[in-house]
Amino acid sequence: MNDKTPGKTPRRPVTFKLDDPGVIVMDPDETGRPLRGAVQITPEADPAQLPVPIDAPLLPARRGFRWGTLFWGAVAGLVLLGTGLGVVNLIEDLFARNEGLGFLGVAFAIIAAVALMVVISRELFGLARLATIEKLHLRAAEVLLSDDRAASRVIVSDLLKLAHQNPQLARARNALATHTDDIIDGADMIRLAERELMAPLDEEARRLVSTAAQRVSVVTAVSPRAMIDVLFVFVASLRMIRQLARLYGGRPGALGMIRLMRHVIAHLAITGGMAASDSLIQQMLGHGIAAKLSQRLGEGVLNGLLTARLGLAAIDVTRPLPFNALPRPALADLAKDLLRKKDEEE
Amino acid sequence: MPPSFSDIVEEARLSARALRDYGEGFFHPTVRLGVTGLSRAGKTVFITALIHGLTRGGRFPVFEAYSSGRIARAQLSPQPDDAVPRFAYEGHVRTLIEERRWPNSTSDISELRLVIEYQRQNGADRKLTLDIVDYPGEWLLDLPLLNKSFEQWSAESLALSREALRAKLAAPWHAHLATLQAEGHADEQAALQAARLFTDYLRACRDERFAMSLLPPGRFLMPGNLAGSPALTFAPLDVPVDGSASDGSLWAMMRRRYEAYKHVVIRPFFRDHFARLDRQVVLVDALSAFNAGPEALHDLEAALAGILDCFRIGRSTMLSTLFRPRIDRILFAATKADHLHHSSHDRLEAVLRRIVAKAANRAEFAGAAIDVVALAAVRATREAQLQRGRDKLPSILGTPAPGEIANGETLDGETEVATFPGDLPDDPEALFKGDFRGLSSAGAEAADYRFLRFRPPKLERNGDAEPSLPHIRLDRALQFLIGDRLQ
Repeated sequence: MNDKTPGKTPRRPVTFKLDDPGVIVMDPDETGRPLRGAVQITPEADPAQLPVPIDAPLLPARRGFRWGTLFWGAVAGLVLLGTGLGVVNLIEDLFARNEGLGFLGVAFAIIAAVALMVVISRELFGLARLATIEKLHLRAAEVLLSDDRAASRVIVSDLLKLAHQNPQLARARNALATHTDDIIDGADMIRLAERELMAPLDEEARRLVSTAAQRVSVVTAVSPRAMIDVLFVFVASLRMIRQLARLYGGRPGALGMIRLMRHVIAHLAITGGMAASDSLIQQMLGHGIAAKLSQRLGEGVLNGLLTARLGLAAIDVTRPLPFNALPRPALADLAKDLLRKKDEEE
Repeated sequence: MPPSFSDIVEEARLSARALRDYGEGFFHPTVRLGVTGLSRAGKTVFITALIHGLTRGGRFPVFEAYSSGRIARAQLSPQPDDAVPRFAYEGHVRTLIEERRWPNSTSDISELRLVIEYQRQNGADRKLTLDIVDYPGEWLLDLPLLNKSFEQWSAESLALSREALRAKLAAPWHAHLATLQAEGHADEQAALQAARLFTDYLRACRDERFAMSLLPPGRFLMPGNLAGSPALTFAPLDVPVDGSASDGSLWAMMRRRYEAYKHVVIRPFFRDHFARLDRQVVLVDALSAFNAGPEALHDLEAALAGILDCFRIGRSTMLSTLFRPRIDRILFAATKADHLHHSSHDRLEAVLRRIVAKAANRAEFAGAAIDVVALAAVRATREAQLQRGRDKLPSILGTPAPGEIANGETLDGETEVATFPGDLPDDPEALFKGDFRGLSSAGAEAADYRFLRFRPPKLERNGDAEPSLPHIRLDRALQFLIGDRLQ
């Protein structure tokens, strides 16, 4: 941004010929003190000519009519009707037998209905919130490309709303709120928001993932049966994804978890190929060495790494902003945590 | 004023045409893109760069349909209107790339059709036809005349020509005007002389030092094939707004010719090219107004307000959208953004937003989507930091056009220079209060802004492939204008 402050007198226009003897053209990476009285010109890297990273969309776009949804909706409706009918019959039977029992039945039915409504509305709310976060992610990715100021302002205010309930972020929120009126380009605004709001959360997310991965690897290493491993990995993953979603502002219920799980696995499938090239070899190598030492230990490390990878995919899906200003946590970092911990335990 | 018979006939013709276009649109989805802008705003370059980018593969990361590869190809195809010249795309590209010269100013209307083959997001293959029209920006100034009588126009033109800066330039014409008797006998020679002096005055106002924009009627400056005809031989007279002319007087003759001008020149232009648009991009060259001074900026504002009012003509009628195509997206673009360092682009956008605020509000109220962007269809410069002593100035590097003057020295068109054009204020209102000096009131040394004109960039050819033209935010403009039609 320009370093000009309001109130300062505007600077005068000037022009220099490049072949003028008093003018020095510097390389962008060359640093050195200018000669006295000389005019020094440093060409800047051209942002338009730099390669533009275009990430593959997080999730494949949904296309066509959702027959599956329709089917499940209809089936759910039928089940609900059937249950309702059953309950009505039951209450009629209860009344036929004894009036007191009948009223008790009605009371239970009402309580159940109310509780069901609350559960459903919470699920819907959770789903809507997840959808909001996903949309925010896509919009932010768009703004990073288009550099649209107005859109970036809207995204930041949405983000602030989303982060409103997190007391950890109170200071970051205030800092960001003071910047909303400054002249900042759209993409820069998003990067600023990412640095301010996401940095503490990313740290926490990384900790969550590595804890889960460690737990999985330890339990796998000591568990007596394979069945217990599988169950434990599943539960630990679910727990981790849920914690991550909560951390980044989502509040998934049961349906939300199913949806989130699907997205995480879809994302893992998309990015799996890319990740394989960079780190799978090292992992396998590491696993091989660990397995030489002890078979169970090797399995533990591998399971832990898989959980960590799942966690990274979950971070991508649940984080409201794409990774741009901050580095994406890499599997290597987490693997290091995992092995170091292992060393300490041994 | 109740609508006259000719207005009603005009409306009927517009509706019939809209209905026909609508029918054709069923089989070949078509977008008519209006590229609007006053003269020297960069319409021709914008169209050339747009077509070049789409057909030859430009760098458009923000234009989603293009960057994701859904656009299989785009190609030129024969245009629909046989009576309109073809846009000389190939010639303009050659001028830009090989001669490194900007295309000459447009002297006549021309048209081009681009067929874009693309895959929809759900997988279906489709074609979208894009019709683009180029025309001299001067003609645009005529549109506001459609709703004015000769007497109104005379009064406004005279009032305008008596303003401080213009009065000097209009002096010869004023002197001649004083000798004319409006009620006197119609005299062809007097009319010819008045028209010539009036045209000279308009032409003088257009000089780079003054950069005035509000100079109707436009055909006086760019007569095309009508040069010398009676429809172009009239001038404002000093007559009362609500008076009426007696038969055979000079006043009556001038008024008849003014009406003829509206009928022969403005109406067909409006009907054939303006009333049928789906999308509109309004190019505004604010930088030359900064160069010239506050008067030029106010003039630009007034001229744009008048033109943007004309878009409303279509809106205020009761006919349904079927008969009355609407412009549903308007992009206001401050062109030549490459003449500024990118850290100032936001300020340039703010100024443009201020200039078109009224029109933009109305368009939004009517339901159209609008956007404001600073762009350069062909980017002629690079950016650099200029350090002089302690000062660091965000500046630009480029080759100024031959004849540009810097530091009192005329440049030859080969020397590269680094220039810092001056700081735009954070608050655009500061510019409109008029507390900056331009070339019209001060010398080149004292002016607050100095935007040099640069030559088109030197492009590296690799192999036989034609190099793609660099740009600033042309992709964002495309995404806004036609991105939704390529979903």
